Amino acid sequence: MSVSRDDFSIAFRSALLQRGGAQKFSVLSLIFLALIIFFLDIYGASFTKPIRGFINDVVYRVTFLASAPTKFFPKASQDISTFLNVREENERLKALVEKYKSLELNVEFLTDENKNLQKILETEYFNKNLSNIMLAKVLVDKNSPFLKSIIINKGTSAGILKGMPVTKDNYLVGRVVETNYLSSRVLLLNDLNSRIPVTLDKGAQAILSGSGLSNPVLEYLPEDYELIEDTNVFASGKDGIFASGTPIGKTNYKGSVDLFVDPNQLSFVTVNLNIQNKGNL
Amino acid sequence: MAKNSILSKFYNIGPILLLYYLCISEIDTNLEKVFEIFTLNFQIILIYFWVLKRPEVMANGHVFLAGLINDVVMGFPLGISSLSYLIIIFVGTYVRNKSVNTTIASDWFTFLMAMVLSNILFFSLLNNFSDLTFPFSKIGYNMFFTLFMFPIFWLLFNFYQLMLIGNRDA
Repeated sequence: MSVSRDDFSIAFRSALLQRGGAQKFSVLSLIFLALIIFFLDIYGASFTKPIRGFINDVVYRVTFLASAPTKFFPKASQDISTFLNVREENERLKALVEKYKSLELNVEFLTDENKNLQKILETEYFNKNLSNIMLAKVLVDKNSPFLKSIIINKGTSAGILKGMPVTKDNYLVGRVVETNYLSSRVLLLNDLNSRIPVTLDKGAQAILSGSGLSNPVLEYLPEDYELIEDTNVFASGKDGIFASGTPIGKTNYKGSVDLFVDPNQLSFVTVNLNIQNKGNL
Repeated sequence: MAKNSILSKFYNIGPILLLYYLCISEIDTNLEKVFEIFTLNFQIILIYFWVLKRPEVMANGHVFLAGLINDVVMGFPLGISSLSYLIIIFVGTYVRNKSVNTTIASDWFTFLMAMVLSNILFFSLLNNFSDLTFPFSKIGYNMFFTLFMFPIFWLLFNFYQLMLIGNRDA
C-alpha cells in the first residue's frame, strides 16, 4: 500500500518539477507564471494595458503575415472561377443595370419626398452623422468556436475608441470591444456576448442576441407578437451606440435573423467615428 | 551525414512548429462552416500525443509561449490557454511516468482525463474572472469531437514518428 502511495507521489512530483534535457522550465513554475499573467491581465494593473496593447499589435500583424499563404489559394481559385464566368456575369450585370436604371427615377423621387417630410417633421436625417467614417482592413478572422470577433488594422492612433459601431456597405457588423494603438477587435453580431436593441418592420422593439452560431436570435419581443418570415430588422439606436435605422438582417422561418453581411466573409469594414458609447461596455 | 542530421532536427521541431503555426495563423480546426457543431481543439491533441511519446519534442517553454500567442489571437485573457496546455502536459507526463507501455486505447482514455481537467480549469477561470460567456453546448461538442478525433490523429502522429523521427516509446 505504502509502495503504491510512494509511486504516486514520485510520479506526481516528477511530472510537476521535472527539468533537464529539452525541458528548461518545470511545469509547476510555468503554471505559476501563467496564473500571475492571467490575474495581472484580468485585474488590469496600470502597466499591463500598454504592454498588452503592444503585444496585440505585434501578434496581429504576424498573424496576418502567417495567414497569407492560406488566403492565397482560395483567392486564386475564386479569381479563376470569376474569370471563367465573365461572359455570364456580363449578361447578368447588363440586365441588372437596366433594372436599376428604371429604379433610379423612383429612388430620386422618394429621396426628395423623404427629405421634404423630414423638414416638415424637423428631424435629423440619420445619415448626416455618418460622414465621419473610416475604412479598415480585416487583419485576422480566426473562426473560434466560442468567440466571434475580427481584428481590424486601425486602432487608437486612427481615433478608434471602444464601443464604436462597425458596418459594411451600411449594414451593421458589430462594435469595437478592444483597442490597441494600431489595431482593434470587433465583436460580431453573432457572438454570444452581443446584445443590440433593434426595431422590426412594423415598429416592434426587441433585443438581437448573438447565439454563437451564424444567425443571431430576437429576444424580448412584445407579448403575442407573431414573427413573420422576411421581416427587416434595423438597429433602434436606443443604446446610443448604433445609428437608428442601420439595417441588420431579415428574419427567417426558424425565427432567427439572417444577417445582410456574412460575418465569415469580411475583408474591409467601416468604423463610424462619430458615435461612441459613453457607458460601461 | 550532416544533411541527415539537419533533416532529423527539422523533423524533430515539426510538431512544435505546427503548434506555433496553429496558434498564430488563421488556420483553424473549427469546421463550423462545413458542419455547424463540428469544432475541435487540435492543439491539445498535438501536445498530449507528443508529451506522451517524445516529451523532448514538445518543450514546456514553447508550449507556454504558444498558449500566450493563442490567447492574443483569440481574444482570451493572457495566460489562460498556457495554463490549459500546461495541465495537458502535466497529465501526459504523469501518465508517462506511471506507465511502462501504452496503447492507443490507454492513451485515448488518459487523454479524456487530461482534456476534462484542462477544460474545467479553462472554462471555470474564464467564467469566474472574465466577462466572456460560453454556450455549454459548444463546449460539449468541442470536447466530444476532440475526443472522437484523437485516435485518427494518434495514428497520423505515430506514423510521422515512426517514419521520420524514429520510435522510442515509453
